[in-house]
Amino acid sequence: MRFRAKIVDLACLNNFSRVVNTIARLAKTCTLRLTADKLYFILCDKVANGGVSMWCELCQGNFFDEFQMEGVAADHNEIYLELTPENLSRALKTAQSAKAVKIKLTNKHCPCLKVSVELPSLSSSSRIVTHDIPVKVIPRRLWNDFREPRVPDFDVSIYLPALKTMKSVVERMKNLSHSIVIEANLNGEMNLKIETDLVSVTTHFKNLGNPPWASEDGCQSSAQDRDLESMAEARIDIKKLQQLLAGQQVNPTKALCNIVSKRIVHFILLHEDVSLQYFIPALA
Amino acid sequence: MNCMRLGNNIAKLLGVIKTYNLTFQECDPLQAVFAKHMCPNILKVHSRLLADIMIHFPTSQEEVTLSVTPMKVCFRSYAEEDADFSKTMLTEIQLNPDEFDYFQVGVDSEVTFCLKELRGLLAFSEATHGPVSIHFDVSGRPVAFSIEDMVLEASFILATLSDIDNGTASQEPLCCSRIPESSKAFMDKSENSSMDKDGNAEAAASKRPRQNENEHNTEPAAPASPVAKRNTCNSGNILKDLEGTAMPETDGQAVLEAESRESQYHKFQFLFFGAVSPKKDAISHTSHSLATASDTEEDFGNMQSSQVL
Repeated sequence: MRFRAKIVDLACLNNFSRVVNTIARLAKTCTLRLTADKLYFILCDKVANGGVSMWCELCQGNFFDEFQMEGVAADHNEIYLELTPENLSRALKTAQSAKAVKIKLTNKHCPCLKVSVELPSLSSSSRIVTHDIPVKVIPRRLWNDFREPRVPDFDVSIYLPALKTMKSVVERMKNLSHSIVIEANLNGEMNLKIETDLVSVTTHFKNLGNPPWASEDGCQSSAQDRDLESMAEARIDIKKLQQLLAGQQVNPTKALCNIVSKRIVHFILLHEDVSLQYFIPALA
Repeated sequence: MNCMRLGNNIAKLLGVIKTYNLTFQECDPLQAVFAKHMCPNILKVHSRLLADIMIHFPTSQEEVTLSVTPMKVCFRSYAEEDADFSKTMLTEIQLNPDEFDYFQVGVDSEVTFCLKELRGLLAFSEATHGPVSIHFDVSGRPVAFSIEDMVLEASFILATLSDIDNGTASQEPLCCSRIPESSKAFMDKSENSSMDKDGNAEAAASKRPRQNENEHNTEPAAPASPVAKRNTCNSGNILKDLEGTAMPETDGQAVLEAESRESQYHKFQFLFFGAVSPKKDAISHTSHSLATASDTEEDFGNMQSSQVL
């Protein structure tokens, strides 16, 4: 099992750091899956996570100048590692002006991702900062736990409002309530509602637009036959929503959510080279 | 009232006058005697560079190891032997000797010291814009970080972790108070309390829970302030240890070490002080100070005044 990768382009480095920062805000520990073409940051829906799950996919070619990996076996050319994304985020944080960043899987005392940052210095030779980030190798028999989640059979799919606006609304609501209701219809309308003993607050968004999902064998027919005005809603943990919104450092190209009434809300945030899916289950 | 007051009137724009009454304790200066010029390893570097290096370590990192050979300099995070490596992230920074304004390595060494204290020094040195000199020896011997300016000279002397295999004798658990820092903190707190009530700043101060965790409680009922208390507790230990142990008394190299707050680092001790005037004849003064400090238990008012940085 081998892995080594290198980034020399500063823009790519910044992009990668941003992705890692976002992941670090969403999960304390997560799984990094490496394949020949892609990297995935995965969080599966265990009770410990509060039932949220996350799937983030990157094309390695968009970030790395060099990328070599050899998986556990020829027919399973993949590596699954469990790590604390905060560590990776920290290692990359001080690499803002780096000449090069190398990442390598090593195993001295224990398996580590060794991040080597070559920094410019006043002297002839560069300054080299190395971070050894401990990781756990996930054995092949557990790989099934980390499959890509299916898009749920949603009732309503709608584009999100400007994330900045949504974030400030949700942040203020967070002070008043632990849970928030997201409701939306196929007419481009979304409401964010909180209700406490003392006060109830609703923020209305209009003209958001609904993404066209290609129907696959009529499995989306439930959405298509739906009354346009009828709202699908789910009550979710407001903190999880706030974490998702706060973690977005750049505006995504596309941001939408799929609501399964009273069950789950599925967020999809697409950037040029990264896609992030985040599932927040409805509260009982 | 035995404490002195320093008054400050600040006239504000709207005609409001704010008065600060700062109380402070006169206390005995304890100075570490450490012959910097006898250290085989001397590095001089701008404080900016040191700060740029330390930024790579997480703020929670307690200790770092500085490792030098004539060819390279390396700072790396220190983890105890029984630390869980599968959970700890380790950071290492390698530098070329070229980066230092002055680089002298007489003996290959690795010294481990408290990073948190160093960060304090770096924050302080930002104001002076001068180079920081690092004088050190082998592990177990102290490391001194010094800043010199036109108006001040400051030396921070930190103990270093000794190599257990070497069995060096420099880990005497002597205690002494970290006077400037404690007085400063004492003043900050008193300022607040005297703003609230004109009365007894000393009464307010004595409520402060600021105690060295490793000390045993001597006189909880005494009217002495926390600073004085620390003196008494520590002096008791000093006397006890002076009798029993042989101090390493190479000429000009007596070292005082104070017990660290973190009780798990029993071996790990440090002393902090700031000098205003570069008086270098402190050797005889040191033993005199130790003896005097022990008297302060009863004789509060007779403490000598000290210049606090």
